[in-house]
Amino acid sequence: MPEHLIASLVVALIGGIVDLDSTAAVQCMVSQPIVAAPLTGLILGSLAGDITAGVTLGLMVGVILQLMWIEQLPLGQNVPPDAALASVLSVALGFCASQDYADYSVSVVCQTVALPISVGLGLLGRGLDMFVRRINTNINDWVKQRIDEDDFGAIKTAHLSGLATTFTKAFVFCFLIIWFGVEPIKYFTQMINSNLHRGFVAVQGLLPAVGFSVLLSMCLKNTSEIKYVIIGILIFAFIPVANPWIGIIASLMVMTRYYAKNQPKKRGKKQ
Amino acid sequence: MTFSRWQLLNVAMRSFLLQASWNYNHMMNMGFLYSISPCLDVIYEAGSEREEAYLRHFEYFNTNPYFSSIVMGVTLSLEEKLHNKEEGITPELIHTAKENLMTSLAAVGDGLFWDNWRPYVAVFAIALACGNILLTPFIFLLLYNVLHLYLRFAGVFWGYEQGVGVSRHLKKYNFPHIRETLRMGTLTLLAYLIPNYINIHTPYLVGKWSFEAYLYGEKLVQGLVAIPLVALGVYACRQRVNVLLISFLLIIVALVFNHWDILI
Repeated sequence: MPEHLIASLVVALIGGIVDLDSTAAVQCMVSQPIVAAPLTGLILGSLAGDITAGVTLGLMVGVILQLMWIEQLPLGQNVPPDAALASVLSVALGFCASQDYADYSVSVVCQTVALPISVGLGLLGRGLDMFVRRINTNINDWVKQRIDEDDFGAIKTAHLSGLATTFTKAFVFCFLIIWFGVEPIKYFTQMINSNLHRGFVAVQGLLPAVGFSVLLSMCLKNTSEIKYVIIGILIFAFIPVANPWIGIIASLMVMTRYYAKNQPKKRGKKQ
Repeated sequence: MTFSRWQLLNVAMRSFLLQASWNYNHMMNMGFLYSISPCLDVIYEAGSEREEAYLRHFEYFNTNPYFSSIVMGVTLSLEEKLHNKEEGITPELIHTAKENLMTSLAAVGDGLFWDNWRPYVAVFAIALACGNILLTPFIFLLLYNVLHLYLRFAGVFWGYEQGVGVSRHLKKYNFPHIRETLRMGTLTLLAYLIPNYINIHTPYLVGKWSFEAYLYGEKLVQGLVAIPLVALGVYACRQRVNVLLISFLLIIVALVFNHWDILI
């Protein structure tokens, strides 16, 4: 299937580039799901001639995956799960598998099934990341020898070779997953009883709750704050309109007030 | 001043690749050396001095990537002083100063960026994404990178011009207070997102009231049910239950409730 081959290559390329951003280079956060997923959706959507569908799927996946691993931090030796690859693969698998179905609920099933599978692939991606880092460790030893022999050029070559390994890892991984993964997801969707299809629409709506819980549990530092959060949720639940700017303006107001009110006093004033 | 503005900018540019060869032995050492090597070449002529300098900076290095250019600036200013044989500057002092600075900046930077700035910008973007604003990814990138790029490029100059005194300069920003403020903003945005964007629909309200009243009733039910749901989620996260397991449980529960026609 040549179309499928092109899609696999394109996804592999996106995966390779986006994965470079997650640790190896720049880190301007193109690798974050909220960017990587809509980007994949945009490119695949324009290939298939349906940009809006691609971007909308991308935003849905981005919203769910963005907060899920937000507390997994790249501190010291800790390697976080590969959220970049998970979001690229989730959108790509969901988009490619659902393309042949005209029915809305069937395509939602494909997209929802692709999501937890990609979360698992993100965990697998962490293993691959560790493998690349072990290769880098061997390269590091080699460079030390070269410096002892006055070959300073080796640093540049060895250091930049890390970029090539990271890119290749993500490229091959994404290519293989899309090349072999789309058909099984289609098959799985066909297997699911059509009575369950509506259930998957409900599941998709509920999944952001996981991300919100993760971030809330990370941000709540003491128990006295719980009541304010609940009061806040109630206020926003009773406000009849849901407009993002209401939330954003409220957060900016809270921040300005908190910043001004709780500013630590200067030493001079204390005395 | 030995280094021109362009040479320092080159260091900042190279610091973007700091983690390209991240390894388990010395972490970001090659990236650090790669970034400052053009400036080391300016100070030291080819020969034993240059080799010593290279080996000196081939040691373990690990800090927050966004704050790394500050350490690079400080290191270069000390290397310059060492070359000019200023009193009290020894290779050991450079080692200690670099180590102290990288550790403290790792704590400050990781806390600021990973704990507070990224979550805040993320919920900000998610609020926009849930409002179906298709430009969300650009807004996220723009907002996040204002702080990131400012620190990268300004940092190398702060470090180089102020030397080890740069930590006094950084104290002025009062990062812990900024972090707390960002945390409050994140909590507010979460309080907005939780009742509005977890889609919970029940069949009980359908066809009982006028359309407007029905929509408001739906929104209220959604908001009120979201509270215990998220409370359960937070409890599970606090008990260190794996996120993947929580998601699977949620999927199964949702499918069962849908089967019973409680959730549509």
